[in-house]
Amino acid sequence: MMSEENNGISRRSVLKGAAVGGLGIAAGGSLLAGCGTKKVTGDVHFTIRGNLSDAGAKIAIAANDAYTKKTGNKVISQAVNSDDFQNNFVQIMQGTPDDAFGWMAGWRTNARADAGLLADVSDQIKALGSALSPAAIQGATNPKDGKQYIIPTTYYPWGLHYRKSTMKELGLDPESIATWDDLIKLCEATQKKGLVGYALGDKGGWEAMGTFDIINMRLNGYQFHIDLLNGKEKWTDAKVVDVFTHMGQLIPYMNKNVLDISWDGMRDLLLQKKCGAMMMGSWFANDFKAKSQEDYDDLWIVPFPEINPEHGVDSIDAPLDGISVAANGKNVEGGKDLAGFLGSKEGIDAAVAAGDTNIYISSEFDTTSYDAFNKQKLAVLGAAKNIGFFLDRDTRGDFAGPVVGPAIQSFLKNPKDLNKILENTQKQWDALPAL
Amino acid sequence: MSSTIVQDKKYRNKQKVKDNLISLFIGFFAIVWIFPILWTVWTSLRPYNDIISYGVFSWPRHLNLDNYFHAFRVMGLTHYFLNTLYVTVPAVILTLFLGSLIAFVVSRYSFRFNLSLLLLFTAGNMLPIVLTYIPVFWLYIKIGDLFGNRSLLYNNYLGITLVHVAFQVGFATFVLSSYMKTVPKEISESAIIDGASVFRHYWNVMLPLLRPPLAALGVLMSCWIYNDFFWALILMSEDSKRPVTSALRQLQGQYITDFNLLAAGASIVAAPTIILFFVLRKQFVSGLTLGSTKG
Amino acid sequence: MKTATANKKVRSRRSLSRNDRFTLAAFIGIPTLMQIIFLWLPALITIALSFTYWNGINVSDIKWAGLANYKNIFFGTPVFYEALKNNLIWLLWFTFIATPLGILLAYQIDRKIKGHKIFETVFYIPVVLSLAIIGIIWNFMLQPGGFVQGIMGRDIGNAVSIWGNYSINTYVIMGVASWRHIGYIMLLYLAGLKSVDPSLREAAAIDGATEWQTFRKIVLPAMRPVNIIIVVITIIESLRAFDLVYIIYGTSTAWPLLNILVFQNFAGQGISMKGAAYAVILLVLCIGPILLYLRNVFKEDLK
Repeated sequence: MMSEENNGISRRSVLKGAAVGGLGIAAGGSLLAGCGTKKVTGDVHFTIRGNLSDAGAKIAIAANDAYTKKTGNKVISQAVNSDDFQNNFVQIMQGTPDDAFGWMAGWRTNARADAGLLADVSDQIKALGSALSPAAIQGATNPKDGKQYIIPTTYYPWGLHYRKSTMKELGLDPESIATWDDLIKLCEATQKKGLVGYALGDKGGWEAMGTFDIINMRLNGYQFHIDLLNGKEKWTDAKVVDVFTHMGQLIPYMNKNVLDISWDGMRDLLLQKKCGAMMMGSWFANDFKAKSQEDYDDLWIVPFPEINPEHGVDSIDAPLDGISVAANGKNVEGGKDLAGFLGSKEGIDAAVAAGDTNIYISSEFDTTSYDAFNKQKLAVLGAAKNIGFFLDRDTRGDFAGPVVGPAIQSFLKNPKDLNKILENTQKQWDALPAL
Repeated sequence: MSSTIVQDKKYRNKQKVKDNLISLFIGFFAIVWIFPILWTVWTSLRPYNDIISYGVFSWPRHLNLDNYFHAFRVMGLTHYFLNTLYVTVPAVILTLFLGSLIAFVVSRYSFRFNLSLLLLFTAGNMLPIVLTYIPVFWLYIKIGDLFGNRSLLYNNYLGITLVHVAFQVGFATFVLSSYMKTVPKEISESAIIDGASVFRHYWNVMLPLLRPPLAALGVLMSCWIYNDFFWALILMSEDSKRPVTSALRQLQGQYITDFNLLAAGASIVAAPTIILFFVLRKQFVSGLTLGSTKG
Repeated sequence: MKTATANKKVRSRRSLSRNDRFTLAAFIGIPTLMQIIFLWLPALITIALSFTYWNGINVSDIKWAGLANYKNIFFGTPVFYEALKNNLIWLLWFTFIATPLGILLAYQIDRKIKGHKIFETVFYIPVVLSLAIIGIIWNFMLQPGGFVQGIMGRDIGNAVSIWGNYSINTYVIMGVASWRHIGYIMLLYLAGLKSVDPSLREAAAIDGATEWQTFRKIVLPAMRPVNIIIVVITIIESLRAFDLVYIIYGTSTAWPLLNILVFQNFAGQGISMKGAAYAVILLVLCIGPILLYLRNVFKEDLK
C-alpha cells in the first residue's frame, strides 16, 4: 500500500562529484547573481539545533553575525535541544516557528515540504548558481515537485573513526583493513589490549543504524538497501538476516553498556582513548577540535571495509545538512535571505573562520587549504559511487524511529530473537498507511 | 490486680524496646532517603576546580556559594522564575476561583445535574494527560487563528495557565464541595432570607468561610503547577518563555559537564517548594486530608 | 409566626431573580465550558482520531481507518507488550512494595515513635520536588563519575552500566519512583489515620493486642475509605508513569511505557494515529480505577 516513493537513487550516485570535482576556488563568483532581487529587511529569527555550549552553536552564531554585518538585518538566534526540536517539529512549524533553522535533507525535508510546512527556496538555490553541483541540487530537491526546500551546506561521511595515537600504541594499522575478517581481527587485537574494539552507543535508537546501513550496502549493494527502505524488498529476506548476522559478530567487541549511552557517549569513548574503532558520522569532529588541536589532529577516518567483492566499497552514508525556511515564519523572505547567505561563500567563510571543520558541498568552498583530516574525509567520500543519507532520512519517519530503532535495540539486547524481530518489522511496514 | 499492672509494664517496656528499634530502622532509611538531596547540595557548594583537581570524594578545600551566584548569572534563572510566576499565580487563583464557583452552586442549590457536574469535574482531574496534549495544541492554533493571533494561546503564558486550570479545577471543586458540606446550611438560609443575591451569597457569605480549604488548596496547587515541566515543552516553542522547571531540560544539556553548576541550579529551583512545605506544612497536610477523605 | 417564616422560605426558594439565574448560569457555565474546551473536547478528539490515518498536519488528509491502528498495536507491535509489561511491573511494585511501605511508615509515625516529626518531613520532601529535578538529582547519583559509581570504585571510563543494563535498570527505575511514591502514600495515610478514633486503639491495647494485631484488625478496617483511595492512586500513578522515564530515556522506548509509546507515535518525527490509539488504551485501563474512586468518594450522594 506504499506509494511509489523513490528518493531518487540514481541522481545521488553523482553527489560526490561536488566533493572531488569541486576543488579549488570557483571562477567568477556567481553568488551575487541576485542583483535583480529586491533587498530584504527586518529581523530574522533562527533556531540552532543543539545547546548554546556546543561548538556548532558558536559557529552558527558567527555565520549569522556575518549576515547582519552584510545586510544590517538583525538575526535573533535561539538554541533548542535537538531531540526536542525534531520531536516537536510538526507542532513548531504549525505554530510560531523561527524563520530559518538548521535542518536535514531527505525525507524530513521532502515530507514536511509536501505538507506545506516549509518555504520554497528554489530561487535562492538558483542565485547560488554554479557553486552547487547538479548532484548537490538534486540532493536538496523534493522529487514530488522538483523544487528545493533546503539550502544544502554541509555533509560528512559515516566511517570508522579512530585515534592515530591509540592505534600506534597498539601497533595496529587501520588503513590496512580491507576485508571483514581484517576488521574482526582489528577489533580482537584492540580488545586484547584492554580497549573497546567497536564502540557503539544506541540509547537514542538511531546510532546503530549507521552500522546497519553500511553492512547492508557492503553485503547486498546500494540498490538493495534503498529498495529495502522503500518497501520494495522484505526485511525477512535472507539478505537482511545476513546483515544482522554480521552485526552480531561485532557484538562481542562492543562496549558492554551499548544501550546505556548515546552518540555523545560513543564520542567520549574515543575522546578518552578508551576504544579502537567507532562507526559514526564525522560531524562530532568539531568537539574534538574544541577540546584541543592535538585531539583533532589525532583523529582519522577510514571507509568501512569491503565485505562482498561484488560491491566493494562503492557506497557510503553521507547525510546532507542545510538550512530550511519555515512557511509560517513571521519573516519568510528574511528567512530565505539568511538561508541563501549561509549557503553562499561569505556564509561559509564566516563559519570556517569560527572553527567549522565540516565539509561544505558548495564548490565555493576552498578545499585546497583543507587539513589532513578533511582531506581524508573527502577521500573517503570520493571512494564511493553511491551515497545514502542515513536510514532515518531515507525512509518514512513513522517507520525509522518507532520501528527500526527499537528493532535494532531489541537485536542488540537479544540477538537470538532475530527472526521474530525481522518478521515484526516487516509486519509493521505492511501496516503503514499510505502517505 | 497487681499482676495485670506488672504485665502491662513488662509489655510496655518490651514495646518500648521494639519502638526504639523501629525508630532506628526508619532513621537509617531516612538518612538514605535524604542523602541524594544532601549530595546534590554538597556538590553545589564545591567549586568546579576542586572536583576536577581532587576528585568527587575528596575532602573539600573550599566551600562557598560561588556556584549559586554563577548559576543565577549564567543560567538566567531570574528570568525563568519570572516566567514561572506569570504562569503559576494566575493559574492558582483562577483554579481556586472557578472551583469555588462550581462547589458553591453544587452544595448550596439543589439542581438535578449537581452530582453529574461533580462527577465530571472529579473524573477530569484523573484523565491521563497524554490523551489531550496534541489536540490541545491544535485547538490553541485554531483559536489563535480565530482571533487573528496565533500566539494568543500557543507559545504564550496564557495557554499554559489555561491548561493547568483545566486539569486542576476538578480537584479544587471536589475539595471545596466536601468542605462546604460541613458549613451549616443555616448561614446560607439566613442570607437568602435577608434577600441576598446569589452573587452576594457567594462573595460575602461563603467565600470568607472558605479560607482554610482555599489556603490548603492554594499551597498544594502552587506546588503542583510549579513542578510541572511537561506542558511548556509542548506548548512553547521559545525557550526564553518557559517556566524554570521546563528550562532545566535545556540547561541540563548545556551544562552537563559542569555538574557543580547544575547542582546549584537544581538546588535553587527545588528551594521554593521545599521552603513552602516547611513553612506551610499544616496547609499541605490539610489540603491532602480534605482531598483524600470525606470530612 | 411559623407560617410566615415557612412562607418566606418557600418564596425565597422559588423566586430566583433573573439576576440570580444569570449569576448561577455564569457560575456553572464558565468553569464547565473551560473544562469541556480544554479537557474533554481534546480527549474526545483523540479518541476519534484513533480510528483514522493521519500525519498530524493538514486536516484534509484525515482518512478513516476503523480498527486498523488497534489491530496493528495488538497484533503487530511487540514493543507494546513490553510497555504493558513495564507498566505491570510498575503496578505490582507499587502495590506490593511501595504502597505498603508508605502505609507502615504512616502508621509508625502516627504512633509518635522517636523522631517522627523529622521522619514525616524527610520522607515527604521528594514529593514536593519537580520530576525534572528528581531526574537531575538521580543522574548525579548514578552517572559515570557520580556517587554510586564512585562508591563502587568505578571512574568515568569503566562505569557500571545502569540505564542500559536490562537486568538491573528496572529495579533502579522502580527505586527512584518509589523514592517519591512512598512519601506521598505516607502523608495521605497519615492524614487518614488522624480520623481513626483513638479510643479504639486504646481499647485494643488494654485487651493485650500487639501493635501488629491492632493495625491489622482495628486500624486497617477502619480506614476502608482511605484504603480504596490509596489503591486507586497507586493504580493510576502506575499507569500514568511517564515523566521520570522521559527524562532518562527520551522517546527512544529503550525502556518502554504506555505513555512513552503515545508520545513517540503521537508527536515525534513520524506522527501516526497509533499514538492516539495508545492513549485510548491507556484511558480504558484507567476507567476502572476512576470509577472505583468516584463510587467510593461519592458513596452517599449516589444513593
